[in-house]
Amino acid sequence: MGIADARAMHPGIDIVEADPAADRQLLESLADWCDRYTPLVALDGKAGLFLDITGCVHLFGGEKRLLDDMLARFFHQGFEVRAGLASTAGAAWAAARFSGSLIVEPGQEAGLIGPLPLSALRLEPATCASLESVGLRTAGAVMAAPRAPLARRFGKLLLMRLDQALGRLEEALSPRLPVAPLSVERQLAEPVSSTADIESLVTLLAATLKVSLERREEGARMLQLQLFRVDGAVSRIAVGTSRPLREPRLVQKLFHERLAALESDIDAGYGFDLVRLSVLAAARFEMDQGDLAGGTLDRGEDIALLADRIGARLGKQAILRPVAVQSHLPERAVALLPFAEAGNPAAGLPALMAERPIRLFRHPEPLDVPATEVPEGPPLHFRWRRALYRVARAEGPERIAPEWWREGADAPVRNYFRVEDADGRRYWLYRQGLYGATQKSVPRWFMHGLFA
Amino acid sequence: MATNAATQGTVFALRRQIAKIEGRLAERLEERSGEAAAESDIVLRQHGIAVPAGGLLPTGVEDLDRALGGGLPKAALTEIHGTQTRDAGAAAGFALALVSMALKQRADRAPLLWIGTAEIFREAALPYAAGLQARFGIAPEDMLLSEAPKLADALWIAEEAARLTTLSAVLLELRGNPQALDLTATRRLHRRAQAGGRPVFLLRQSAHAEPTAAPVRLIVSPAPAGLRQTAGGALARSIGPPGFSVTIGKSRTALPGQFIAEWNFDARSLQQRRPDRPSAENPLAVVSLSQRREGHAAAAGTVVALQPAGDDAAARHQPPREQYATHRRAGRAG
Repeated sequence: MGIADARAMHPGIDIVEADPAADRQLLESLADWCDRYTPLVALDGKAGLFLDITGCVHLFGGEKRLLDDMLARFFHQGFEVRAGLASTAGAAWAAARFSGSLIVEPGQEAGLIGPLPLSALRLEPATCASLESVGLRTAGAVMAAPRAPLARRFGKLLLMRLDQALGRLEEALSPRLPVAPLSVERQLAEPVSSTADIESLVTLLAATLKVSLERREEGARMLQLQLFRVDGAVSRIAVGTSRPLREPRLVQKLFHERLAALESDIDAGYGFDLVRLSVLAAARFEMDQGDLAGGTLDRGEDIALLADRIGARLGKQAILRPVAVQSHLPERAVALLPFAEAGNPAAGLPALMAERPIRLFRHPEPLDVPATEVPEGPPLHFRWRRALYRVARAEGPERIAPEWWREGADAPVRNYFRVEDADGRRYWLYRQGLYGATQKSVPRWFMHGLFA
Repeated sequence: MATNAATQGTVFALRRQIAKIEGRLAERLEERSGEAAAESDIVLRQHGIAVPAGGLLPTGVEDLDRALGGGLPKAALTEIHGTQTRDAGAAAGFALALVSMALKQRADRAPLLWIGTAEIFREAALPYAAGLQARFGIAPEDMLLSEAPKLADALWIAEEAARLTTLSAVLLELRGNPQALDLTATRRLHRRAQAGGRPVFLLRQSAHAEPTAAPVRLIVSPAPAGLRQTAGGALARSIGPPGFSVTIGKSRTALPGQFIAEWNFDARSLQQRRPDRPSAENPLAVVSLSQRREGHAAAAGTVVALQPAGDDAAARHQPPREQYATHRRAGRAG
């Protein structure tokens, strides 16, 4: 029915354009919220969620109470939800859609599905239509029919769906988020909203986590804090560490910086009623033996902690470490890597090296060179950032060829000069290309670095 | 006994007064003398000036050291100014020379943390580890670089880093005269540097003098480099050891003055350039000693037997000037 027809029948109707992206986003935020019941939440089509609650039921006092709790919370958030609970995903799907909120006991799947129409088997409409055309109108009729002709005529999918619903075939759900190897959480009777409260909760949770980490002889490299707001929104805050960590005090410090940086982004609203701390990545924790005075011998520890705190507050690109790379190109010879990723560089810089500046521009800046003494020589004057500099002394050229294995054989070579201007400032300039190499290209000059 | 205690009390009161005049923490002085009182009652003094707690970092430029009373205070904030952004190479070079000498003093290998705002690293380029290693002996693994998006973040990092004792030095580089960098901010940095017991350098590019809590402010501008020393003497028109023109902007002890310093990267030391000594003289040998090695060769001995009279020994072993390759000859190198 078109809009015009609908309006003719009901002049008062409100017309809203479909917005699949927003629907999807809403579904994903609901899936986030369902993390409070189980870490294994998968999306199902456009309007469904699968929750694998294996092993989680006892935390909520049984299947019935879990289902009631979830339905009540959804109801108070303003959603109309239908749920089914069964031993197989297919049976639960059918139960939710065809029989209301229902808990199917193990072994009762066939009894549930049997009288239901074919669409309860999660089949394509075309398959349903062709099954109906041969007189198989219910799932029970399909179950009773011989399998081999069905598979031959309607494809493997039909029998696969049937077997999955009845539990003869395993069905794997693909959870949206990776499952954390360790996580601890705390349900709160009274929601909290202040940052200080959250931080003290982090310390409590980290203390619990430490026991588990100690048992596994591991330390956390990546931690995530999930804050479940009363009205369903979920905030996830992750921090990375540069070395394995399990001390609650240090974990709290990292989250302190992260929360300070995110203060404006986290809306506490009516408060958070569930706080969860998970270890997303762990690594082996090397125990250090301290001296008798109680101090540790490891001096890198507080630098690593400072780097982690800077990384937590300003992002990991804020603290960098130079690492030597095997390349003769000046800009590639030293890579700046985030502290946490740099590790222990194996090879240092070559011991003997030509003169190199102490500061290097990220992008060489073009220069205007009006004249050189001889065509291949250093400039007499150059204009940089709109100021004219007179070259008093120059050394060079040092020719640096491009890396043909990366840039191709016809990339222009660079001739570097060390020059000193009339005031005594020292620069590293280069000319890209050669005079007379090709008729078209004229060499260009660039400023690449500053000497001390 | 009672009179002794009374005189000691008077001495402490006087010391406190002196400390107040000299702008140091009285508690620190008292603690020092309290510790030292058991053995002797001497406050360390050099050239009549009390040495600040934490020791001194001599720059190696004789006149500058004399003016500063022995060197820069080690456990303190030191401001190094560059008047223009394009002088960033020279100002950073002088600061790195000081860092390099501080690193040389330390027995352990503690890294340097260089903090800068995104603005200054865009305007005056990023530190380049290859050059730092070759010219200042600061290996890439001895260096951390922090690029803060905003000034407030850079100050936060600097304050947090200034309290760590496991860093050999903290270098905070900023541009201009921002509001946030006031007397309070510098005082916080200075106090933490004192507590940490190692230098914090505040490198300010294109800034003019402002009230600061740092005891010393030096203004650095570039000076023409010295000439390269070769076996045949100084190589004309070559660019050798970098020169810095250093002016004392603020010091409690020194009068304003200007000094030309030259960085000798083989010896990792600053030297003063004088009119009578135009370039850094090499005290040991004509050819520079091998650097980057653990054990330096011993200085050429004092065996002087069979030295031909009246002739320069080194020059005798060199080929006559005509035999030099063309590129060694005076003139534009290369």
